[in-house]
Amino acid sequence: MARTIVPRPLRGFVIPVLLTAVWWAAVHFGWSTSPLLVAPSKVWQTGVEQVVSGKVFAALGASLWRDLVGFAIGAGAGLAVGALLGASRVAEKLVGPSFHTLKQISLFAWIPLLSVWFGLGDAAKVAFLSLAAFFPVVLNTFEGIRSVPADMLEVARVLKFTPAQRWRKLILPSAAPSIFAGIHLGLIYAWLATLGAEYLLVSGPGIANLMIDGREHFWMDMVLFGVFVVGLVGFTLNWIAGRIEARALAWRGRSVAQF
Amino acid sequence: MAHAGTLQIDHLSKHYDVKGEPLPVLDNITLTVNPGEFVSIVGSSGCGKSTLLRLIVGLEDDYQGEVLLDGQRVLGTSLDRGIVFQEHRLFPWLNVEQNIALGLLNANFTEAEKTRSVREHINLVGLGGFETAHPHQLSGGMSQRVAIARALVSRPEVLLLDEPFGALDALTRAHLQQKLHRIWQAEGITMILVTHDVEEAVYLGDKVVVMEPRPGRIRRIVPVPLAHPRDRAALPFARIKEDVLAEFASEAEAATVVRHALRHDDGPDSGFSLPNGLRFAL
Amino acid sequence: MSRDLLMPLNGRAVDATPARLAWRLWFAAPAWPGLRDWLLAWPLPLAVLALWALAAHLEWIAPQVLPAPDAVALTLKESLLSGELWANLQVSLIRVIAGFAVGLVGGLALGVAMGLSPTVKDYVYPLFKAFAQVPVLGWLPLLMLLVGIDEGLKIILISKAALVPIALNTYKGIQGVPTRFIEVGRVLRFTRWQMLGQVVFPAALAPIWNGIRYGFTHAWLALVVVELLASSEGLGFMIVYGRQLFQLDVVLAAVVVVGAVGYALDKVLAAIEKRLLGWRKEAF
Repeated sequence: MARTIVPRPLRGFVIPVLLTAVWWAAVHFGWSTSPLLVAPSKVWQTGVEQVVSGKVFAALGASLWRDLVGFAIGAGAGLAVGALLGASRVAEKLVGPSFHTLKQISLFAWIPLLSVWFGLGDAAKVAFLSLAAFFPVVLNTFEGIRSVPADMLEVARVLKFTPAQRWRKLILPSAAPSIFAGIHLGLIYAWLATLGAEYLLVSGPGIANLMIDGREHFWMDMVLFGVFVVGLVGFTLNWIAGRIEARALAWRGRSVAQF
Repeated sequence: MAHAGTLQIDHLSKHYDVKGEPLPVLDNITLTVNPGEFVSIVGSSGCGKSTLLRLIVGLEDDYQGEVLLDGQRVLGTSLDRGIVFQEHRLFPWLNVEQNIALGLLNANFTEAEKTRSVREHINLVGLGGFETAHPHQLSGGMSQRVAIARALVSRPEVLLLDEPFGALDALTRAHLQQKLHRIWQAEGITMILVTHDVEEAVYLGDKVVVMEPRPGRIRRIVPVPLAHPRDRAALPFARIKEDVLAEFASEAEAATVVRHALRHDDGPDSGFSLPNGLRFAL
Repeated sequence: MSRDLLMPLNGRAVDATPARLAWRLWFAAPAWPGLRDWLLAWPLPLAVLALWALAAHLEWIAPQVLPAPDAVALTLKESLLSGELWANLQVSLIRVIAGFAVGLVGGLALGVAMGLSPTVKDYVYPLFKAFAQVPVLGWLPLLMLLVGIDEGLKIILISKAALVPIALNTYKGIQGVPTRFIEVGRVLRFTRWQMLGQVVFPAALAPIWNGIRYGFTHAWLALVVVELLASSEGLGFMIVYGRQLFQLDVVLAAVVVVGAVGYALDKVLAAIEKRLLGWRKEAF
């Protein structure tokens, strides 16, 4: 049975290898005459060329720069607003409903508006990215602060904590898992938004623009390479966010259920 | 009346593999449980009493020795052997009735018999009126009673209980011990209870099996020839309880002696300083 | 009841001007717990609305950049009456439901297969994870090359957007069924099917439904993007169209509808969740 033939750690590679083999065979034996059917080796070549010439790094750099700036603004604002909503019931009642309503509007629907208000250049893109990161960060920060267990707050009262102590020693550490989850989500959405922004506000360099270019010229190899790079960056960002989360929350132990 | 089973455990041993090294958990356990008997097993943590129960019910295997129910080797789980865990493990998405009915899902009863059995057992554990309640609406004691009903509803030959009242408060515990005792008298099936509460063990059991840890062994079996219902305050009860507790005291004192010995032994002329009552000529 | 509101404590009647009424309502609020909160929700949006109306009417900002709120409302009403809004909404709804359905079935199937069979998981999960790293938009140019820009593209993208979170949550949900329940099933001699039906699926239902809601949010997101980029009908198209012609009132009207519909559909899913998972007061 196939079960016993392939050892466990290698099983993940079976399907990709098979697919690549089929792909190569399709090219080699000319199963299709479509110009879209490029050889795996061509994709590899294009990729190497892009890396060596530095073009991919220029494009990626531009995208990532916008991504990080937008994320920083959005996450920063998100933390502030989330903290405000969490700390003050009044603020929550005044601002909360409006916020929840705006949150319902699907993210990309904002772009045309932003393009009118900010133009088509980097400003609009960064504004959009900030928006993308803003919502999840606010939500998770707010929720984290609100979920501080009431019993712990009582302990703080009994021990006569000042408000500053209460925030530093109890509220922020307790809300930290949720806040970090929000930042992680914000990072994911910001990357998603980066790509979207480049499609919709077509101007300036960017990794998505590389792919659009490829598409317009029917350069399948370029497009495939672009897909690979996008996936790699997404994975890396995810991984970094995960590591930071794990580091900062080392006290959480293995069970999240108790918190 | 359910048929009470005879449980025979012969030279049972089990070890776990920890980083390549075998860690013995149970060593040469031999025990006979007669039909309809109530056996209490006591021991401190790490003596393998829970593992023993899991082997009997069939949740774990890979052991040396024999576990026989009515002369037949036990293989895997079976409706002949029921178990009540320390946590109630009721399914939160089902109500009381439905949880108990789970025990009959694979039993050979007609639909009418099943409905009747479920109702009988709800009344047996004293939860009449709570049929449609969900676990989150019940107290710890009530949930554990549902778990007992679920284990009994398929009329097993043996009921195993793994520290069933450990997570409950003292008052509920005493109440449920009484209840379990009455159920045992009514149903007449064989019961094996694992507990760390010596009083509970003596109150309920026909005999108390004392286990010692590392590796798990039977130290002694203390018979409890008292009539039911038992009076916890009576002298005979207290004597048996002291007897059992003494096994643990000597266990603790033996450890103290060794510690003292290791601390004070700096030469052939050093005198051992033993705890009071244990001096003897070397 | 309303008469009592108008009677201050000392018994003298007051006239019921709106301001007075509001004041009285404020003090009556503790009797109606939700009322106070509901009232507090309005000052901010009303203030923003007022500012907006002012800015538009006094032409601090050009109408092409920021149309007046009443213009937007008018456009909304007109497009509703002319049937244009409904036509576009219909197209969008059909698309998103079709795509979501495909993603739902695929995601559940994949998640269940990976969750129940360690073999399937070994072979498929790494590829699936790699596939999931590329966000929906990353696939767009590739898919455009392969299938063009007609309905196929949209359905594929929307279903991909839904499939990933659903498959992931389903897989994790099945994996995460607490062992202690499985053991009860073993002791009670559950067959494979009984174990699945009585233990695994009820226990995994909560994370699975979570995945479904999340999947729908992503599907809706993908719908809007794809319609913004490559469509000649639908809500997204309305937005782009209005934008091209600098008719921001059309844009805003469409944005409002996008928000409202997305919200409504999510609420439907939430209501279903409540019915299915009503027992989940104290989670396990």
